[in-house]
Amino acid sequence: MIPDALSLFLILIVAFLFSGALAPFEALGWWAGWFGREREAIAKTSTSPKTTSDAKHFVIFLTGIHSVSEESFARREIALLSELRKRMPDAVILELFPYSVTNRALTGQRFFAWFWRYALKLKLSRLAFAGFIINMRNIWQVGVSADRRYGPIYNQGTAESMALALSRHGYAFASGVPVTLIGYSGGGQVAIGATPYLKEIIQAPITVISLGGIMCSDPGLEALERLYHLYGKRDRVQRLGFLMFPGRWPILPYSDWNQARANGRIQLVDMGAIDHTGKDGYLDSKQILPDGRSFLEQTISTITAIIEEKSIAPAFGLTAMPS
Amino acid sequence: MAELRLIGQSLVLNNEAFSRIIELESLRIALLVVFLAGLSNAIGQSIVLFANEVKPRRFLASLLLASFIYVSGFLFFVFSIWLVESFIFTKNEPFRNMIKVVGLAYSPYLFSFFILTPYFGSFISVALSLWSLAAILVALNATLALSFWQAFLCSALGWGLLQLVNRTLGRPLHTLTQAGRRWVSGTKLELKVGAKHRGKS
Repeated sequence: MIPDALSLFLILIVAFLFSGALAPFEALGWWAGWFGREREAIAKTSTSPKTTSDAKHFVIFLTGIHSVSEESFARREIALLSELRKRMPDAVILELFPYSVTNRALTGQRFFAWFWRYALKLKLSRLAFAGFIINMRNIWQVGVSADRRYGPIYNQGTAESMALALSRHGYAFASGVPVTLIGYSGGGQVAIGATPYLKEIIQAPITVISLGGIMCSDPGLEALERLYHLYGKRDRVQRLGFLMFPGRWPILPYSDWNQARANGRIQLVDMGAIDHTGKDGYLDSKQILPDGRSFLEQTISTITAIIEEKSIAPAFGLTAMPS
Repeated sequence: MAELRLIGQSLVLNNEAFSRIIELESLRIALLVVFLAGLSNAIGQSIVLFANEVKPRRFLASLLLASFIYVSGFLFFVFSIWLVESFIFTKNEPFRNMIKVVGLAYSPYLFSFFILTPYFGSFISVALSLWSLAAILVALNATLALSFWQAFLCSALGWGLLQLVNRTLGRPLHTLTQAGRRWVSGTKLELKVGAKHRGKS
């Protein structure tokens, strides 16, 4: 028996909402201590690490929603990170899986690791539906971070994961060494959400670079040094953040987003006619801009310029987004 | 299966469902719908329990207690509607029948756990309330032969009466149920999420 189009649509809607209703449980269960007491790990590392790194800057890269673990498998992301490491030898660049409150890769989860390993295998063999399932799962986690009910819990978890990762790589808390979070796609929301909690733990200035980030009007914006939102004119995914979160609409001048913009803490960087991902995306090394740089090169030089506090030279300069 | 069909019909606001449930002798289906709706609602609101770090056993006990409190609230609501229909609209529908039809009209609340959904939670909550209100209007129309506006007035006055009682005579009861919730959960049930790493270093 094949369901008709309407039934199929309804089944998909119910499945979508059902996966959404289950989405907050990982963060909530972690908070309530149902999955062990991993949370207390932060307390043990809150003193300075045994061997302190003399890096001048720490960068945490938060991957896009296509990922299942902190180690990026997308060749374009790998190229970005490798080039950033090459150009900024004084910086420590870490990767973190932002769609789990405990930085636990989907492929390393207790009960469903086999499922996510299988989904990843299918995705890598170009089965679009497997990619859709992974994206859907991670999009809901972005929703959890942006939700006023769950955000304070989820964002605290990711902040603690970030603090632990920093500490393990020799970052001394309260040393004042600046930290930059690069949030690609949904990672942008996780980055701004975690900022106030991370700042409280590490006692250092935090800058966020959103690479086509999907972000809400998060109260975390107040704790930032500055948010650089790199956006492409053809990137409709990042625009979803604007459309879905009324706090970003100009009609609400007192929202966290609009207040941060008014105070100059948000800088919008127009990257030109660039798409969100894949071919024509921010990380495409084949497409060339009128000035001779590839899309990837422009992204890398913009990020390094921000981190090294040089003048930013994207294709179209710093502008205000029309909406 | 017959029960499921009745619930399905009430969800699509089919007035036949409400006429048929009155013919049933038992209150079982109506009260089961309300209890499960209460359980679903308790899961939908469970962030308070998680935020207070309630452990799994107490969590389950808290959900059950919340479901029973929900059923009691429902009975008070039905009683208010019954008072209004008896004394203002001078209908003589027995209280038992009102429990059956309004209970079945609570079926949209079976989906209350969807309130957990990030971003869409508030929208779903409002949508379920409107859906259930529509079901109550159909139920009152089917059983009491009230017009749309009379049915609306009847449920609105019933709801208003319940709010009035809640804020006056119902206060001690409210305090008692809150104390019960706190006792079962073993926490103060405050919705405050402070930084957890504080004080542990």
